[in-house]
Amino acid sequence: MLNKSSRWAWVVAAGIGMLVSSIPILGQQPAQPPDAAKAASPTPPEPAKPADYVGSDTCKACHEEIFNNLQKTPHFDIETGARPSLTGKGWKQRSCESCHGPGSKHADSASPDDIKNPAKEKPGEVDRTCLNCHLNQNTPVGRLATGHAKDEVGCTTCHSIHGEGGAKLVTHNKGEINAKCSSCHISEWAAFNRPYKHRLPEGGMSCVDCHNPHASFRFDTVRTSFGNEPGCLQCHSDKRGPFVYEHPVVRMEGCTACHEPHGSANPRMLIRHEVRLVCLECHANLPIPASLGKNTTVGVVPPAFHNLNSPRYQNCTICHVKTHGSYVDRNFLR
Amino acid sequence: MKTLACFLIVIPLWAQDPVVPAGPPQAPAAAAQAQPNPAQAAPAASAQPAASSSAQTPPPAPAKTGEDWFQGSVQFGYRWIPNNDGSFATYRSVVNLGEGPKLFDADFTLLDPSKRFFNRADFHLSSWGDPYNTARADITKDSAYRLTIDYRNIAYFNFLPSYADPTINQGLLLDQNSFDSRIRTLDVLLDINTKKWITPYIGFSHNAQDGRGITDFHTDENEYPVASIASDQTNTYRAGVRMDVRGYHLTLEQGGTTFKEDQGASDSQVNPGNFVGTFLGSALPLKSLSELYRVRGHSYYTKGLLAANPFKWMSVTGQFIYAKPHTDINYTQASSGTFYLQQILQFYSMGQDVLTGDANMPHVTGSVTVELQPLRRLRIVEYWMTDRLHNAANALLAENLLLTSGTPLSDQQLLTDRLVLNENREEVDAYYELTSALTVRGGYRYEWGDADVRAPALTGQKLEPANLRRSVGIAGVNYRIGQKFRVTGNAEGSNSDQTFFRTSLQQYEKAHIRARYDWSPQWRFAADFSLLNNSNPSPNVKLDYTSKVESASVYFTPKAVKWANLLVDYSRSAIHSNILYLVPQTLTATPSIYRENGHSLNALASVKWLTFGGTLFISSGSRPTTYYQPLARLTVPLYKHVQWISEWRWYSMSEVFYVYENFQTNQFTTSLRLSR
Repeated sequence: MLNKSSRWAWVVAAGIGMLVSSIPILGQQPAQPPDAAKAASPTPPEPAKPADYVGSDTCKACHEEIFNNLQKTPHFDIETGARPSLTGKGWKQRSCESCHGPGSKHADSASPDDIKNPAKEKPGEVDRTCLNCHLNQNTPVGRLATGHAKDEVGCTTCHSIHGEGGAKLVTHNKGEINAKCSSCHISEWAAFNRPYKHRLPEGGMSCVDCHNPHASFRFDTVRTSFGNEPGCLQCHSDKRGPFVYEHPVVRMEGCTACHEPHGSANPRMLIRHEVRLVCLECHANLPIPASLGKNTTVGVVPPAFHNLNSPRYQNCTICHVKTHGSYVDRNFLR
Repeated sequence: MKTLACFLIVIPLWAQDPVVPAGPPQAPAAAAQAQPNPAQAAPAASAQPAASSSAQTPPPAPAKTGEDWFQGSVQFGYRWIPNNDGSFATYRSVVNLGEGPKLFDADFTLLDPSKRFFNRADFHLSSWGDPYNTARADITKDSAYRLTIDYRNIAYFNFLPSYADPTINQGLLLDQNSFDSRIRTLDVLLDINTKKWITPYIGFSHNAQDGRGITDFHTDENEYPVASIASDQTNTYRAGVRMDVRGYHLTLEQGGTTFKEDQGASDSQVNPGNFVGTFLGSALPLKSLSELYRVRGHSYYTKGLLAANPFKWMSVTGQFIYAKPHTDINYTQASSGTFYLQQILQFYSMGQDVLTGDANMPHVTGSVTVELQPLRRLRIVEYWMTDRLHNAANALLAENLLLTSGTPLSDQQLLTDRLVLNENREEVDAYYELTSALTVRGGYRYEWGDADVRAPALTGQKLEPANLRRSVGIAGVNYRIGQKFRVTGNAEGSNSDQTFFRTSLQQYEKAHIRARYDWSPQWRFAADFSLLNNSNPSPNVKLDYTSKVESASVYFTPKAVKWANLLVDYSRSAIHSNILYLVPQTLTATPSIYRENGHSLNALASVKWLTFGGTLFISSGSRPTTYYQPLARLTVPLYKHVQWISEWRWYSMSEVFYVYENFQTNQFTTSLRLSR
C-alpha cells in the first residue's frame, strides 16, 4: 500500500506525464467557437479555395452503405426536408454535409484529410455540431451542467449516427441501453450483482428510466417526474404525497439517504444491515428545549421506552410503518 | 392474454415468402442482458432493405415483397425449475423467476408499404410470462406524427424473514412488513409534426400498484401483524409545444395528475401481537380490526424551458417549473380487544378513529445555465438552481374509546403540520484546453438552504429550523489520445459546518477517475476508481465514512476467430462507516459501525455455440453475503433463421448471520429463436 505522500507523488507524476505526452499536438488548431456555420465547415487547408457543398448524391456514389444506413435513422429527415426547422438551415439534400461540412475537396481528392470527420474530433466540437439542431430538445435542461458534459463525453459516444451494423441512433431496448451505459460505468453496473437491487439485469428496467443522460437539475442526473419531483416517484408514486406528516429527510436528502438504489447486500436496498441503525444514525440529537438553544442538525433520539435490548425495538419499521410519510400520525405509526 | 400475444407475434413469421437472407445474425437478447457490453448487445432490428432513392427524392422506396415489410426476431420457450432449496420466500424476494412457457423476447419492425397509417413501427417485448415484462412500440409517419408507447409490469415481492421481524436474531416469526404486489407503468407520447417550426405533443402516463401484504397495527403497549391490501394509481396528462426558431428553442408544457390510493388492514381472529406475557396483569390481544385509508389527490404543473445560442461565444439554458400537488385524506379505524392507553393510564376494549384532512405542497424549481467562451481555449460555465417547496397540512381527528370499565371516552384534535424547504445551488466551472488532448477544469460550488421542520414534541415548539451551507471546490481533468484512449478525473472537496442531517456530506473529499483504452478492435480495457471520504468531527457525531470502489474490465474478440469472445468485469468495493448514536434507553453515545468489503465479478466467454460464465458477489463485514449465478448456454443454429437456445443457470445466495434466508436453485430454459 502506498502512503499518502507517495500517492500524491504518483498523481503529480501522472499529470506531468499527460502534459508531456500531449506536447506534440500543442501546435494543432485550437478549438473553434460554437458557430453553426463554422462547425459545419472545417477550415480548408487552402484558404484561397474553400470547399463547396456538393450534395448527398455525390457522397452516396462512394459511401452508399453509409447513406443507406442513414436512411433508416431519423437524420434522413434532413435529406428530405421533412422538418422545416432543418430545411431552414439549408441542409435539404445535403444531409451528409450538414455534419461533415462541404465536401467538394474531399470529392476531388478522396482524401480523408479533406473532410471533417466528427468521429475523430474532440468531444466538445462534436457536441457543437449536434447542438446546432438538437438544442436541448426533449431534455429538461441543457447538457451543459451534466457529468457527461463535464467529462467531455460526446454525443457520438452513445449515439450511432449512421446506424452502422444495425445499431440504432437511439436504442430503446433496455438490455442494449444497460450494455451501453455499463461499458463505461463499470462500478455502477457491478452494484447490480448484489441480491437486492432494481431489476436492470433482468431487463425490466434500464439506466435511463432513472437517469437522464442529457441533463437534470438534480444530482447524478436523476430524472424528474410530475414536473420537478425526483424520478423515483414515477414508479413509487404512493410515496409522493404530499403527506399530512412528512418525513423531512425524504424531501431534504432524497431516497438515497436510506437506500442504495443500484444494489445492496441489505434488504430493501438499505444502506445499513440493521434498520435501527439506518434510523438512529440521524435520530441521535437530544431534544433540547427552546430556551436552551437548538440542534444543529435534524433528528432527535427516540424516547427512552425504546429499549434496544428488546428485539421488538430493534426494527423501527415494525411500529413506524409509514416511514416515507404519514397521512394520520406524526410518528408514522399509521 | 400472454398466449394470444405470443401467437399474434409469431403468425407473421410463417405468413411470409420463403426465407431469404436478411441482415446479420443477431445475438440473443438474453445474451445482451447477461453481457453488459455494447459490442455484444443484440443488434436491434436488422438492416432494412436498401432504398434506391436519391438525394433528390424523398426516403426509401415503397417495399414490395413480404420480407420488406416485416423484419425482426422472436424468442419463446419454456423454463423448468427442478429444485428450489432453502428459503423460498427469499428466492421470490431476490429472483422470483417462475416455471412455465415464456416469450423471452420479440423485437420486430413493420414497414407500411403504402405509408398510409405509418412508415415504420418498431416493437419490442421482453420477458412475457416472467415477473418483469416490458413492451414498447415506436410508430412513425414521416412529416405527420411519432407515437411511442412504453409499458412495464414489475412484480414487487418482498418477504424476508430477517426484515421487520421482532425476533430478528432468531428468525422465528414472520417478516411484519412485506408485500406481494405489482407495479405497472404506461407511458404514451404523441409528437405531431406540423411541418412548421412548432411541434405540439401530448402525453399520458399511468402508474399503478396493487397487492397484498403484512403490516402492523400499533397500540401503546403492543403491535399486531395484520393482513393488508393496498392499491394506488396515478395518471399524468401533459401537453406542450416545442418551438425552434433560429437557434432558439422553447418548450412550454402544462401537465396535471390525478392520484388515488386505497389501503386497508384487517384482522378478524384473536391476535396476541408481539408482546408476550401480561401487562399490569392483563394480556393484550387484538380481536378485530378494520382500518381503511382513502386518499385522493391531484396536481398540476407548468414547465418552461429555453435554450439559445444568442452569440457565438455564449449559450444559455433556463427552465422554470411550478407544481402544486394536493391530497385529501379520509381515514377510519375500528378495533376491539384489550389495549392500554398510556395517556390516561387505562385499559380500553374498543377504539374508533375517524380522520379527514388535506395537504398542499406548492413546489417551484428554476435553473439557469450560461456558457461563455471568451477565449478559444477557455470556457466558463455558470449554473444556478433553486428548489423551493412548502407543505402545509391540517386534519381533524376524532377518537372514540370504550374503556374496560364501560365508560366511553371521546376526543377531537386538530392536527397541523408544515415543512418548508428552500435549497439553492450555484456553480462556476472554468475549462481550459491546455493542449488539444488535455483539458483541465476548476470550479466552485456553493450550496445553501434553509428548512423548517416539525420540532420534537418535548421542545414545546411547533417547528425547528435547519440550515445548509456548503462550499465545494471542484477540479477535473480530461485527457484523450484520439478515439482510443481517454482518462477522466474529477475531484471535489468541502469543509462545511452546517448541514441538514448528521450523516450529510460535511467535510468531504470525493474523487472519480475513469479510463478507457480501445487498444485494437479486438481488445478493450476500462478501469474505474471512485473514493468518498466524509467526516463530521462534532463531539457528539464523530462521523467517519469512507467508500472506495475499484473496477476493471477487459473485452476481447479475436480477429481471426469471429466465433469467440470474452468479457470480464471485476469490481472491489469497500465501505467503512463509523458514527456515534445515542442508545435511547440510556442516552449513552455508542458507535454505529458498518463495514462492507465486496467483490463483484461478471464474466462471460463464448466459443462457437457455447457461452458460459456468470456473475458473482461476495461480501464480508456487517452482513456477509454470497450471491452467484453461473450459467451455460448452448445456441445451435437449426436453419438459416432458426436457433435453438438452451440455458442452465444456478442461483445461490447465502448469508452468514441469517442462514435461514439461504437458497439455491437450478433453472433450465429451452427456447427457439426465429428471425428474418
